[in-house]
Amino acid sequence: MNNRDNFLKGLWSEHPVFRQLLGMCPTLAVTTSAKNGLYMGMAVIFVLTFSSLVVSLIKKIVPNQVRIAVYTVIIATFVTVVDIFFKAYIPDMSRQLGPYLPLIIVNCIILGRCEAFASKNNLKKSTIDALGMSAGFTWGLFVLGSIRELFGSGMILGFTILGKNYNPLIVMILPAGAFIVLGLLVAGMNRLEQK
Amino acid sequence: MTELLLIFISTLLINNFVLSYFLGICPFLGVSGKIESAIGMGLAVTFVMTLATSISWLIYHLILVKFNLLFLQYVIFILVIASLVQMVEMFIRKFSSGLYQALGIYLPLITTNCAILGAALFMVSRNYSFLESVVFGFSGGLGFSLVLLVMAGIRQELEDADVPRVFKGVPLTLITAGLLALIFMGFSGLFSSI
Amino acid sequence: MKETLRIIGVLTSVCLVCAFLLALVYSRAAEKIEVNQNQRLKTAIANLAPGAEKVEEVSLGDSTIFKLSDKKQKLIGYAFLAQGQGYQDKIAILAVIDVSFGKLSGIEILESSETPGLGGKIQETDFLKQFKQLPVNNGLECVKTEAQADGQIKAITGATVSSRAVVDTINKKLVVLKSEIKNLK
Repeated sequence: MNNRDNFLKGLWSEHPVFRQLLGMCPTLAVTTSAKNGLYMGMAVIFVLTFSSLVVSLIKKIVPNQVRIAVYTVIIATFVTVVDIFFKAYIPDMSRQLGPYLPLIIVNCIILGRCEAFASKNNLKKSTIDALGMSAGFTWGLFVLGSIRELFGSGMILGFTILGKNYNPLIVMILPAGAFIVLGLLVAGMNRLEQK
Repeated sequence: MTELLLIFISTLLINNFVLSYFLGICPFLGVSGKIESAIGMGLAVTFVMTLATSISWLIYHLILVKFNLLFLQYVIFILVIASLVQMVEMFIRKFSSGLYQALGIYLPLITTNCAILGAALFMVSRNYSFLESVVFGFSGGLGFSLVLLVMAGIRQELEDADVPRVFKGVPLTLITAGLLALIFMGFSGLFSSI
Repeated sequence: MKETLRIIGVLTSVCLVCAFLLALVYSRAAEKIEVNQNQRLKTAIANLAPGAEKVEEVSLGDSTIFKLSDKKQKLIGYAFLAQGQGYQDKIAILAVIDVSFGKLSGIEILESSETPGLGGKIQETDFLKQFKQLPVNNGLECVKTEAQADGQIKAITGATVSSRAVVDTINKKLVVLKSEIKNLK
């Protein structure tokens, strides 16, 4: 598989959320606004890329029985780094994302990619795969966040789109709305794949 | 005592881990197909979660806080959880190979069940006492099991229903979960003040 | 045996390297994080008590309280933090009260994860302005109708739990502080 396809698969054909159905927890939780989705995506890009990098580097010296534990520790470390970074330099985003930032540790996408790809491929391929997957995850979050923010408060990224007369569908910002919109999006993806 | 009861009921129903906090979605979508596996998964998660919050509380307050090692919180917690799951897996394999077969891949996946790490993190941020943490973990696991069971029941009924192809499987489960979430919101009026 | 040693060895080394890396990152950032947290508090106090030139943190029993003095070093009031469980998650409140502990100057919500559009409205001016210059001698009460007596706060429609949480949290803290305040004077 060449580099281009390796990267692109994470954006569409093997999309981590819409096709592989992984990483649902943060997808539902932080997409109350487009901005939250975007920042969460960026955090995941950092964690997934560096975790894959390290896992790919040390794949030969890690005994099989402890590999999950070792990968998890590595992921937890990079997540802590991101959490510290957010708390120090973007504290209001740290507050917005709340406990879901450390919960990136148990985001199935990250452990999934480390186990399924990074532990079996060389450094370059693993890094490209990680970038593609996390980029795909980010646009997914952005779209879901935008939809929920738009219908739930009339805005996207803080810019008012639907005017004052728009009566917001509060359910969009609530958990129920998250489930339903994501369900519809996955159904939509199924439809597109069918053609 | 009322404090503990409040934590129990609110975690079980009002601030349900799955429907309010979106924790534990992966197993929720994956295991809620059959009632038997839902029960097994629910029990395993409740057991692990109760132990996880208790042990994490001890480690947090007796070691991390004392030695100013709070930045190691996430790494330590996930190690505790991973070890607990490993032990539960060995326990189940030994005593009930039927259950072990049924749960299959989902057992090790409990480690990445965000609900367990989430419970530990919430317990820390809400400054619960030891007893409160144990109750919190227990009711969190029960709440997860409850929703899992309800979903399993619904999905088994839906199997015979005529569902448009694009909605089959995950999309339908998500939408059902959304409706469940709406319903559970009704519980928020249960207490006049929490 | 050799295999087990290798397993333990790799796992331990990975943990040690990670712990070291984290200690490094954290030590560089710790100061900045604390500054951020203090900044938030300072800005909130400045909003609620514009005349306060000096903010002095003192401990009062198990709690901390902030003495506010103007530029002439005269004590003009106190600020305190209160935290309690709201509908969704914890709510953190900063309150400024006068010297006699009889009247709230106002409050600000520092942390809240209440439902946007409903409980989230506790952060809006309409709700918060009720706490400005509010007498607290008999404690605060959250009511659903219009506030009629002193110390009554009208709850937000559709967000009674969040509104009550704010009131209860402040009340609880006031009780604790009032019992300790004699030790301060």
